Amino acid sequence: MTNHETLTESMFIKVFFALIGLTTLTFLQPYFMHQDLQNTIAIQMFIAVIKTFLIGAYYMHLKYEEPLYRWIVLIALITLSIFFIITSFDAIFRNSINDFFT
Amino acid sequence: MDHSSEIEIIYDKQGNPHEVVDFNDDYQASKLGFWFFLFTELMLFGGMFLVFTFYFYRYTDNFLEASATLNIVLGGINTFVLLISTYFLGMGLINFKNGEVSKAKVKIVLTIVFSILFLTIKYFEWMAEIHHGIYPDSDILNAKESGVILFFGLYFTMTGLHGIHIIIGIALMTWVLILMNKGTITTKKYVIFENVALYWDLVHMVWVFLFPLFYITGLGR
Repeated sequence: MTNHETLTESMFIKVFFALIGLTTLTFLQPYFMHQDLQNTIAIQMFIAVIKTFLIGAYYMHLKYEEPLYRWIVLIALITLSIFFIITSFDAIFRNSINDFFT
Repeated sequence: MDHSSEIEIIYDKQGNPHEVVDFNDDYQASKLGFWFFLFTELMLFGGMFLVFTFYFYRYTDNFLEASATLNIVLGGINTFVLLISTYFLGMGLINFKNGEVSKAKVKIVLTIVFSILFLTIKYFEWMAEIHHGIYPDSDILNAKESGVILFFGLYFTMTGLHGIHIIIGIALMTWVLILMNKGTITTKKYVIFENVALYWDLVHMVWVFLFPLFYITGLGR
């Protein structure tokens, strides 16, 4: 157990207020900045990714851990991205002229 | 089943004996093993988000129409409730590592209280849907368009699976409290507490995506 640098109480509280702020933004964004659907989803997912990054880095201590743990998360994200990219071809091109099964 | 007092000996190729240290109490291995479990959890929820994204793309109008009917206030309150609960558990862990055991215990209890509050709000939200005749395979739901049926199917499945994770989390936190009282979790040996906190952060993380996708998108029309 070699804890070189650990999460301090003050840092933990700072991250908490950042998360509260971002959550409020998630909640109020559609009322304040009325956007079309694509922009709404883009803004919402952008906020969610920042929140996830903060939770992962500070609350799950990934910032302070050995690189191995960050690799596990990265490999999970890469695997999921591959699934999403492959499926997106199906979603976009299904029933189009190039579909072998129509 | 206390192995800590036993001395285990292993031998190298030259036949020299070595005492096994950290027997059944390997901090790094415990945490690594738990991270592999979290990997499978990411795959489980990731797969569900994949299905959601696919059908959202194909039935966009139906999904938006259904999303607009959800109670955004209750969903929003739950988002804050879950965030505050992760704050208490994480702070409890920091307190515990600093040797402030009773402070940590209070924070775990507060986390459990907020988790129960989350489930209670979720209960009222689900009941409101069910009273409107919206639940999987109901006649009212089946009469709607296929995109709406898919939306509510995913809504009940994903928030339901998330709710099961909350219930498991409450059980795990209670277990942590019991182990603290028994002296199995100490300020020098706290990997179980740490892993439960990791689990709770993952449950929170899933909600960070569930909330905007299910509740907010309906406002973006």
